[in-house]
Amino acid sequence: MKKLLTIAALAAAVTTLVAGEVLVKGSDTMLNLVQNLAEAFSTANPDATVSVTGGGSGVGISAIISNETDIADASRSIKSKEISTARANGVNPVEYVVAIDGVCVIVNASNPIEKLTIEQLGQLYQGKTANWSALGGPNKKVSLYGRQPSSGTFVYFRDEAVKAEYAASMRQMNGNAQIVEGVRGDEGAIGYVGVGYAREQGVKVVKLSKDGSDYYSPLDKAAVDAGDYPLARPLFQYTNGKAKGDAKAFIEFELSPAGQKIVEEQGFYPLTQGYQDKNNANLQ
Amino acid sequence: MKKSVVALLLAILAAGSVYAIDPGQSELEYNGWFRYLNQSTKFQVTDPTVSRSLIERNYLRASHQWTTALFSKLSLDFHSASGNYSDGATVRIKEAYLDMALPLKDFTLTAGVQKHYFGLIYSWDYTHPDKSLADAQGVCASADYGVTVNGFLPKGLGELQLGAYNGEGYKISGAKNSIAPELLASLRLTPFAGVQVGASVFSKAKDFSPYSNSAGKLSTNRKQWLLPDSANMNRFALAPMAKVAFGPVSLTGEYIMYSYTRNYGYYPADSASGTISESTRKEVTKDYAMTGIDLLPVVSLINRKLEVFGRFSTWERKEQSGDSMPVALDKSLTRYGAGFNWYFLRRAGGSKPAAMFQLAWVREQKRNEVSPGVKVDPTDTFMAQFRFEWNHVLPAP
Repeated sequence: MKKLLTIAALAAAVTTLVAGEVLVKGSDTMLNLVQNLAEAFSTANPDATVSVTGGGSGVGISAIISNETDIADASRSIKSKEISTARANGVNPVEYVVAIDGVCVIVNASNPIEKLTIEQLGQLYQGKTANWSALGGPNKKVSLYGRQPSSGTFVYFRDEAVKAEYAASMRQMNGNAQIVEGVRGDEGAIGYVGVGYAREQGVKVVKLSKDGSDYYSPLDKAAVDAGDYPLARPLFQYTNGKAKGDAKAFIEFELSPAGQKIVEEQGFYPLTQGYQDKNNANLQ
Repeated sequence: MKKSVVALLLAILAAGSVYAIDPGQSELEYNGWFRYLNQSTKFQVTDPTVSRSLIERNYLRASHQWTTALFSKLSLDFHSASGNYSDGATVRIKEAYLDMALPLKDFTLTAGVQKHYFGLIYSWDYTHPDKSLADAQGVCASADYGVTVNGFLPKGLGELQLGAYNGEGYKISGAKNSIAPELLASLRLTPFAGVQVGASVFSKAKDFSPYSNSAGKLSTNRKQWLLPDSANMNRFALAPMAKVAFGPVSLTGEYIMYSYTRNYGYYPADSASGTISESTRKEVTKDYAMTGIDLLPVVSLINRKLEVFGRFSTWERKEQSGDSMPVALDKSLTRYGAGFNWYFLRRAGGSKPAAMFQLAWVREQKRNEVSPGVKVDPTDTFMAQFRFEWNHVLPAP
C-alpha cells in the first residue's frame, strides 16, 4: 500500500503543472482582458508567470475537466454534464466571476431607432422583421451582424435575446471590431458587441427592455449592477478545487480594486458586491 | 391547448442546448484502428497461434444539429474485427438516432440505434484496448435499437438513463428480433470529486438469439440439430460500478451479475453425417448464471501524453445440471494484463485521441483442467495498435 501511495505521489509530481507558471485557457471573449490582467499581475509579481490562451469557452472547460490547465476562462457557466464528467475524473470545478460583460446592441448612427424590446430584437434576428419601418424607423432593409458559432457571445445572444435560431441572412463576423466596422458602413445594420466596443464612432447603442415598460442602456452601470439591463452576463473562471498558490494570487488580483480597474479599462463592468461575496466564499 | 404548446416550446428553449455543436452545424468524424495481434500459448511469441495485422475499427460518423433542441447522428461501422466477419470490409449501422431536448433541463430523448447504457459499456473509451466485460462476454451489445431518456442531475451530481431496446444488439435486426423489449435503467452519481458510484439493470422476458435462423442450426459439437424456436428467457443483468480518481490515478471497478433461462428443442443428429432423427425431438430448459469482476487502474503521466493501464477481470459461468448449478470451467476465466497509451495528439475539446499508439499484453487463464490439478495453458495476447481519429465541424450553410 505504501509503495502504491509513493507511486501515486510520484506520478502526481510528474504531471503537476510547472510550478510558478499559471496556465489560463478558454474564452476568446475574455482573452484580451485576462491577458491584460496577467501582464499587470506579472509586473507586480515577477516570480509568477501567467500564460493565457484562447480557443473558446468549451476548450477551457475541457481543459479544466482533464486537469490540463490551472484556470479555465468561460463566457458561459459550466454545464451539469461537464461538472459530472469533471467530478468523475477527480476534478472539482470551483467557480469565480471576474467581470461583467454587457452585450450591447448597436445600429448605424444614422438610424433613428433608440430602443427595442427583447421580443423586437428576437424578431429582427430571426428575420421576421425585415424592414426598419415596421418598428417606426426608416424604410430600409434590416442587415444583421453577429458572431461566429464558436463564440460564446453567439450562443449567449441566441439563448437570451433571439430565443430561436438566427436568420440565415445574419453575417457571421470574426470579432467585435468587424461587427462595429460592418454596422458603421451599413445604414440598415444592427449588430451586437461587447461593451468595450460600444462607444465607437459611427454606431449607436440601443436601449433595451425586458417587457416594454422600462428601457436601459448597457452604458448605464447602475442599471447593469441592478440587473435591469437585460443582456448583462457574468464572465467566469474555474479552478480544480479552491484556487491555490499562484493561481489563487492571480484570481485575488483580478478581483482586487487594481484588477477591477483593468476590467473597466478593457470595456467590461466591474463586479457587484454580490459576486464579490460569492468569490470570496469560494476563495476561502 | 395552444397555451400549453407555447409553454412547452418555451420550456424547450429554456432548457438550452446539451450538445457539442451549434445549430446549423454538422460534424464528420472518423475512427480508425490499425492493430498487430500476436496470440500464443504460454508466452511463445515466436510460435504464435495468431499473428496478423488488421483494421480493428473503421468508423465514419456524421452528425447534424438542427436546432438547440434537435440533433441526429449516423455512425457507419465499415469494419470492426470479429470472428464472424473475417473477409475484409463489412458495413453495419452502429448509430442512427434522433436526439431531442426535453423540457426538463439537461434531459434528452433519443430514438434510434444508439448506445446501450448498461454498466461501463456506454462510457467505454478504449483506454484499455479490449472491450468492456459485459460486451466481451455477450451480456449485451454496445449499441442497440431503442428509445431512451438521458439526463444529468443538477450541480454535476450524476446522470441517469431509462431505456427500452430490442435487446439483441445492433447487429441483429428485423425478423430476428423478438417481440419482448429489453427494459433498462442506469444511474451514476458523483457525490464528491473523485468518487463515482452507480448501477445499471436490465431485464428482457425473451429473445430468439442465439439460434434464430429459420432453418435451425447444427450445434458446435455436431451432435444436435438445434431448432429455430430456441429462446433465452428471463434475461436479467445487474452491474454496480465505482470509480475513484485522485490526481493522475484512477481505479474503475464493475461487478456484473447476469442470468437467463434457455428453452430449446433439438433433434439428435448423427455426429458424422449430420442426419437428424425427427421423431425424437427433445425439449430442454436450462438455467445459466454468470458473475464477473472488472478492475481497471490507469495512471496518466506527462500532462496526459502517457497513460499506463492495468486490467484484472474474472468471469464465472454456471450452468444448470439437474438440480445443481456447477461452474462451467471451460467458460470461466481470469484475465489480467497491462499496457500503455502514447498520445501524439489529443483533440482539444474531447477525451478521445486524435492520434495514439497502444501497446498491451493480456493473459487469459481458463479454469478447466487438462488433467487433475493441471490447468490448461494460458493464452497470451500482445497487441500493438495505432489509433487515428479526427473530426471536422462543418459550418452552417
